[in-house]
Amino acid sequence: MKMSYRKKSMLAGYAFAAPGMIFAILYMGYPLVRSFYLSFTNYNFAFDPKPTFSGLENYISMFSDSYFIDALKNTAVFSLAFFPTLMIVSLIIALLLDKGVKGTGLYRTCIFMAMVVPLSLTGIIFQWIFNNQYGLLNSVLSQMFGLDSWTHNWLGEGKWAMFSIVIVSLWKNMGMLVILFMAGLAGIPDDMIEAAKIDGANSIQTTFRIVLPNLKESYVICGLWAIIQSVKVFEQPFVMTNGGPGTATLVLYQYTWQNAFKYYEMGYASAIAYFIGAVILILSAVNMFINRNKDTDEVKKKKKRRGGAAA
Amino acid sequence: MIKKKHVSRFIISLILAIIAFIWMVPFLWTLLTSLKNDNEIYTNVLKFLPTYLYTGHYSSIFTKLGNFFLYFKNSVVVSFWSVLFNVLFAATLGYSFAKFKYHGRDLFLGFVLIVITLPYVIYLIPIYIMQSRMNMIDTTLGLILPYIATNLPMSVFIMRGQFNNVPNEMMEAARIDGANQWQTFSRTMLPIVKPGIATVIIMTFITVWGEFTYARTLSITAKSQTLAVGITFLRDEAASWQYGTLTATIILSLIPVMIIFLSMQKYFVKGIMAGAVKG
Repeated sequence: MKMSYRKKSMLAGYAFAAPGMIFAILYMGYPLVRSFYLSFTNYNFAFDPKPTFSGLENYISMFSDSYFIDALKNTAVFSLAFFPTLMIVSLIIALLLDKGVKGTGLYRTCIFMAMVVPLSLTGIIFQWIFNNQYGLLNSVLSQMFGLDSWTHNWLGEGKWAMFSIVIVSLWKNMGMLVILFMAGLAGIPDDMIEAAKIDGANSIQTTFRIVLPNLKESYVICGLWAIIQSVKVFEQPFVMTNGGPGTATLVLYQYTWQNAFKYYEMGYASAIAYFIGAVILILSAVNMFINRNKDTDEVKKKKKRRGGAAA
Repeated sequence: MIKKKHVSRFIISLILAIIAFIWMVPFLWTLLTSLKNDNEIYTNVLKFLPTYLYTGHYSSIFTKLGNFFLYFKNSVVVSFWSVLFNVLFAATLGYSFAKFKYHGRDLFLGFVLIVITLPYVIYLIPIYIMQSRMNMIDTTLGLILPYIATNLPMSVFIMRGQFNNVPNEMMEAARIDGANQWQTFSRTMLPIVKPGIATVIIMTFITVWGEFTYARTLSITAKSQTLAVGITFLRDEAASWQYGTLTATIILSLIPVMIIFLSMQKYFVKGIMAGAVKG
């Protein structure tokens, strides 16, 4: 029997996709559905033989769980400090690197290198730098600059512990965003900037009037990435403070992890995990809405107006 | 006018140099700490350079910390197999997405996009249940299989972008020459997308080498723990020894990723940029 060329090609398409697809479905598709179901059940993996359906109970009870509320607050505080700082500083670094001064290659390598350090090891390295007694930071502050009042038990005091975790996260994640912004900057046509220069704009004017407004696509991608990194912060507090002191650095992701793999409350943990997922999706949607391409909207409006006039 | 330009360039250079230096401090401090003896580490913190190069911390890894080499071996094994299969599947899947039209293709692409944004603990919970039923907890295989899957979405995007750039005429030409589907793929298409493959290898390797959450959950003893997890346990046992040895283990475990990163930085950066445009 002879198959048509089209059918044959379709079959080949499926065949090439199959191995990867099977893996993705087995280890991501199925778990995605399974944990969604679990989030509506009561299931302690250590005691219960089977999950028992409990409806929305997990989703409702989490809001009267004081640890959950703490974790939610801490995650919000982290995100509010981390997200804007990361976006602004990385954009500035990308703009500076884009100028192509001497040594740019070396500076880039230095900033990107932090990306390859495993997060848990980053945590240990910074634990050592933030060490109360022998840490580099306190020593530099007190002995080099004489700022004894600035020294802190960085990881032992609630407020400063969160601050320290933000610093670690910035160090580790900056390179990624710098690269993403540089990709956006490379996408801006040179003649656009040349034209502005011919019109007499200085470099600050070109930056603010031409470059920054033309980075919309980068804002969407960088924003998305930064949102994900903010909301699912986990390893840094887990390794450096284990949520402490008290619950000062307990974040949502760690609370989920604790529920699932310390107390084996798989149902409740799944519900919190889906809550985190929902937060990420909502924030990403907001981010996309804010940075939507207004130019095309205007074109459409114009078209509509014209169409209306013709009618 | 020219002078003004020189001044502003100098200022930019200076700012960048300061930022780059700040970013290097944690590396330098870790390296320097690992080369000082305990006395120097804990007495005069601000004497940055060691009086003499003390290698005792490195040799004590060999004598006292047998587990370190187990962790290292596990990291190598897990990374090798994860990367190998990830590249293989990402190439075929990316090829399929880019060059064939069939039902469900766009649906699957959408699925891949959502999967990247969701927190991985969502997948981890059922995977843990599944693997503990199959007695796969605390095995390296139990880490390799999820790693192949979790790294697929990003790798597929990169490979799809690469294949999209290859003109369809290349495929047609190969087919006219009598190559079957597999030969077209392996002999004609794969060699063209070598840079993409390099990118996927580097990115997956760096991710797997540093992955913590899955490794911390799915491996329990040194038998299957990787470096990223194992070293945190070494730290917890740090009653008798301290930051000297700990920093030495960190330096040793960074060497493989550093070599890969420094030698192939171009592909790494390109890969992220490609992902940014496509994603």
